[in-house]
Amino acid sequence: MALPGLSLPGLGLQSSHIASGSNVPNAAAQQTARQEDLAPRTEWRFEVNFQQQYTIRILSGNAELFGVELASNQPYNFSGIKGAIFTWQGCRLEISGEAESEYLGQETDYAVEWLNVHGMLETARDDAQSTPNGDGGPRVLVVGPDYVGKSSLIRSLTAWAVQSGWTPTIVNGDPREGLLAPPGSMSAVTVGSWLSVEDGYGISPISGPTVSPVKAPLVYHCPYTSPTEKPEIYKSLLTRTALSVTNKLEENALAKHSGLIIDTPGALNDPRSNYATVAHIVSEFSISLILTLGSERLSNDLIRRFSGTTAGADAIPVLRITKPAGAAEKDAQFMKQLQNQQIRQYFFGSSKDPLNPHSHTIAFADLNIWRANSRSLTQAMNSSATMDDSDDDYAPTSSMGSSQDFERVTPSQEMLGRLVAIKFCAGSETDEVAIRDSAVMGFAYVSEVDEGKKRVRFLSPHPQRWGDRAMVWGGWPEAVVDLVG
Amino acid sequence: MSARSPRGSLSGVSTEIAEDFSDSLKDLQGNNKFEIGNLTLIAKENTEHAQAISKVLEDHIRTTAPPRKLPALYVLDSIVKNVGTPYTVYLGRNLYQTFMDAYTLVDGNTRRNMEGMLKTWKEPVPGILDNTPVFPPDIVRPIENALIKFRTVMVQNNRGVQAQQPTYRNTPTPPQHNGRYAAPPSQGQGQPYYGQVRSFSEQGESPDRWADQSHQPSAYQQRTFSPAPQYQQPLGFPAQNQQPVNDLETIKRDVAAVAAQRQAQFAANPYDAKTRQELDALLQLQRLLDTQVLDAGALQQVQNQISALAVAPPPPQPTPQPAPAQHQWQPPPSIPQLPPQFSAPPVAYSQPPSAPPQQPSAHFLDPAALSGLQALLANGQKPSTPQMRAAAPALQNASHSQLSNVQTQTSTQPTINGADLIASLTKNGLLPPLPTSNTTPLPTTTTAPPPTQQQSTADILASLTKSNLFGPAPTPPGVPTPANTARPRVPMTAASLKTFRPELLHALYTSQPNQCSTCGRRFPASEVGRAAKARHLDWHFRTNQRMADSSIARGAHRHWFGNELEWIKLVEFDPSTTSAEDAAAAEARHGASGAGGGAGGKGGKKEMRAEERYVRAPPGVTRNVCSIDFEEMKSTYSEELQDWVFTNAVVMGGKIVHASCAEEMLKGSQKGAMASALQGGLGGQQRQRSATPDSALGKRKAEGALAGAGASRARME
Repeated sequence: MALPGLSLPGLGLQSSHIASGSNVPNAAAQQTARQEDLAPRTEWRFEVNFQQQYTIRILSGNAELFGVELASNQPYNFSGIKGAIFTWQGCRLEISGEAESEYLGQETDYAVEWLNVHGMLETARDDAQSTPNGDGGPRVLVVGPDYVGKSSLIRSLTAWAVQSGWTPTIVNGDPREGLLAPPGSMSAVTVGSWLSVEDGYGISPISGPTVSPVKAPLVYHCPYTSPTEKPEIYKSLLTRTALSVTNKLEENALAKHSGLIIDTPGALNDPRSNYATVAHIVSEFSISLILTLGSERLSNDLIRRFSGTTAGADAIPVLRITKPAGAAEKDAQFMKQLQNQQIRQYFFGSSKDPLNPHSHTIAFADLNIWRANSRSLTQAMNSSATMDDSDDDYAPTSSMGSSQDFERVTPSQEMLGRLVAIKFCAGSETDEVAIRDSAVMGFAYVSEVDEGKKRVRFLSPHPQRWGDRAMVWGGWPEAVVDLVG
Repeated sequence: MSARSPRGSLSGVSTEIAEDFSDSLKDLQGNNKFEIGNLTLIAKENTEHAQAISKVLEDHIRTTAPPRKLPALYVLDSIVKNVGTPYTVYLGRNLYQTFMDAYTLVDGNTRRNMEGMLKTWKEPVPGILDNTPVFPPDIVRPIENALIKFRTVMVQNNRGVQAQQPTYRNTPTPPQHNGRYAAPPSQGQGQPYYGQVRSFSEQGESPDRWADQSHQPSAYQQRTFSPAPQYQQPLGFPAQNQQPVNDLETIKRDVAAVAAQRQAQFAANPYDAKTRQELDALLQLQRLLDTQVLDAGALQQVQNQISALAVAPPPPQPTPQPAPAQHQWQPPPSIPQLPPQFSAPPVAYSQPPSAPPQQPSAHFLDPAALSGLQALLANGQKPSTPQMRAAAPALQNASHSQLSNVQTQTSTQPTINGADLIASLTKNGLLPPLPTSNTTPLPTTTTAPPPTQQQSTADILASLTKSNLFGPAPTPPGVPTPANTARPRVPMTAASLKTFRPELLHALYTSQPNQCSTCGRRFPASEVGRAAKARHLDWHFRTNQRMADSSIARGAHRHWFGNELEWIKLVEFDPSTTSAEDAAAAEARHGASGAGGGAGGKGGKKEMRAEERYVRAPPGVTRNVCSIDFEEMKSTYSEELQDWVFTNAVVMGGKIVHASCAEEMLKGSQKGAMASALQGGLGGQQRQRSATPDSALGKRKAEGALAGAGASRARME
């Protein structure tokens, strides 16, 4: 009698998992699987680059990644992440695959603080629920330099809130990293379903089934690397976002009670501007709690400004939160890869939720393209111009001196490899403010510009064309050359 | 059945056989020996396809209705015992999952059957020479461990939150014993001591054990008389806080040892309910010790309890133990005399002769006000000032400092009452897990300080308040209440950032013990939680099924983002746990589509035309007969909703009917009456049915998916 089952146990099991798209660690990695015992309130920190595969499985106990609890005995695969598996109660991990660094972190006082922040927000939410006509739940602004754990904090707070049955609204004000959208966007999402261990906020709505529930963001276009490039435009986008978010919270009682958390880029930590943008956010979103990470000066400045004696009745609590000891700087290369990955996933999905992008070729005449001028765009184009002297079809820098923030342009090779935001406003729109503030329907990638035949080939996430819509591109995100083909 | 295909058979054959097997499984309704034997035979003849068959069997066990799970498990049992390898290998891999998933969903009787079955898996198959057990121990043991945990959780749930967190009430002694520090020891001190000795002798236990412990007099005193260490430290009573860590380690070891002993007993006699309950309590205690910070008093008490258990395995008394702990920690006028205790607070509060901050409050603290406060206390929270003002109208005019005194007072009581919880834990461990709270009232959290020593207590409390140590007093879990009412209050101050609050974790972890094994999501152990988890698992199943279906998954593309209006109207919900009724209600409430998809909500509270109405299909329901025209309705999959729906349907009187039929009925009868009936059927939906159903406004959602912003999108092509 044939006994196929006597072959290696485990392999058959995994083959059944391949269908669901999870990455199966190869046999070599399996052999190097190792176990780690974590004491209560310690964490396993790991930095995995984009080429590496790292798998973690909980054998016993409980643990969470950015506030999202891992299921027991489920392999979780990581790539391109700097994270820490934290355990409150202690756990045993099985780890396989390779990482740039991995170690046991004992210094985890931050976690208690974060949990207490969660407790504060819960208290505020409970209060909001018991006073139906009040101001709603906590509205939290998180500020601090780059790489101090702001986004990790927000993800943890979000995950805990969702686990407690709330639907917090998250606003991402950092255009370098998208939230449910590619880089170059400023998005807001009300999180009504659980976060994923591997994918965080997960995926925006797609036409098919998804591993974890979709989350629908509202997206604005912020084609700048930093708010400092165009502080006024950045502020007006924030104002617009605040308007939508405030309206949304008024529509939905649970969302209102659950409150709001705003993530910001490190550039907001700018004493020279007297924290003008911070002050702007505080007033636009009626912030009720400011959390600062990583910078004592920032914390003191903000305390003086918002909760000092001069603030009077409008005082806002400013809390200085401990930066996690594991917060790791993401170097330029890592960030670049992260951005490329976000762009790629916007069109092609992830290995678990693969997507089919669609190609559309559209004549110049049917396109309404605007360019958002900025320093980074000028720099990018200057450098490409010097590198590519032979291409004299266009005069790159002459128009750059334009004082206009948004300028109607005809398609050109400059656009190649860039993301173009498709806005909800009509292409015939002439008002710069409307172009600037209109929400984003989607992004298209410029895969080819044929100046001879006067047409552009776009890669679009959606099979439908977008018709007569304004399209905007700018200096951010940078061109991606290898997205197609 | 052409089962004899060569080895390395084509997967197609496997699939075919698996399908046959699956069909037969689906016909298996009960514990039918013939059918089970037949299925076993099929499995035996098709060992080449063992993998596929095992998979089908596992899937079936997972997905079939709870009453049919046991027969299916019997098939598994029969196969592994009569056929053995390779099925044991294949089925063994996921056995934990298969078994536990089923176990959590079935009723008590079935569970006992399953436990019996599990037991046989540890033994060799009867009548076979081979001595190896059916499944290797490393497969069965995790299940057994999980079952123990599971029972612990069950016991916990029955017991409520209270027993889970003995942490925050530290010592049995009412606050007045703080007086020891301000005044020479009085008679009052001796009471618990005698009480304890007596209680030991009452149990007929050897006083030697008591002597064993008495060589630690300081520890004993600490247990009996000290308030919580965290409150002592700042007052400069270092002696109270001696070596809690060492104690903790010792106690942990002891607990582990006793637990192991009980585990062995339990293994020897798994149907001994008492051993099991004790074991449950011990395991629970172990976890507590691991996760939470117990103060010295509580620790000492734990230690006593443990050594009691360690020395004397429970005597085989037919009646449950009268909870020695109860007697130990009550001052002589114990349980039966609750009323005096309850009535004590007014006296206590109103007679603080030398507690200046408290005095002004005395005259307005009438019993009514206090009962309000007690109600707050019973909620297990340190009342905030506004809460207190609300609860006790007499406090309206109290100054903040007066209130904070009362707050301090009230919030310390639970803390100081501490170890009662350990006692109740032990007690509950010994009693059947019934809602016992009525028959044996737990030691009250509101135990009132007798007036005699109020003065010194008040002094200490006052100074504590002054030294600002009472910011976020850890709150006791209080009576069993839903998690959200037991939440601690954390003020938004920098001072409250550093204290570890295990109760916050409790809300995230322990209070939601029912975990999805796929994604790690947790659900409360309540009925609601179970229902949500069932829907959630169903969602996983549906999703996986659809993702495996390449025809659906292959063509997937990202939706456009929604525009502002859509996003504002969009009501986020968890598609995996939201039932049809919830979704409908939410939609009605918000006047927007509950579509989780990118299409989002469609502007505003518009009436839908009948044929555009839909009802989400309840899990497992694919067909339905309209009870108006008796025509069959079939569910269809809505991409937009990511769920199965009945189109042209509304819920009426708890049943799904054709929306058009309902409308006809509506036209033909009294609109008002029908509307209200319909509203009732819709679970309190507030749709304005009086509007003409065929209103021109009747823009509908599915269209709206393309409409809304999409209306113009549709134009685009």
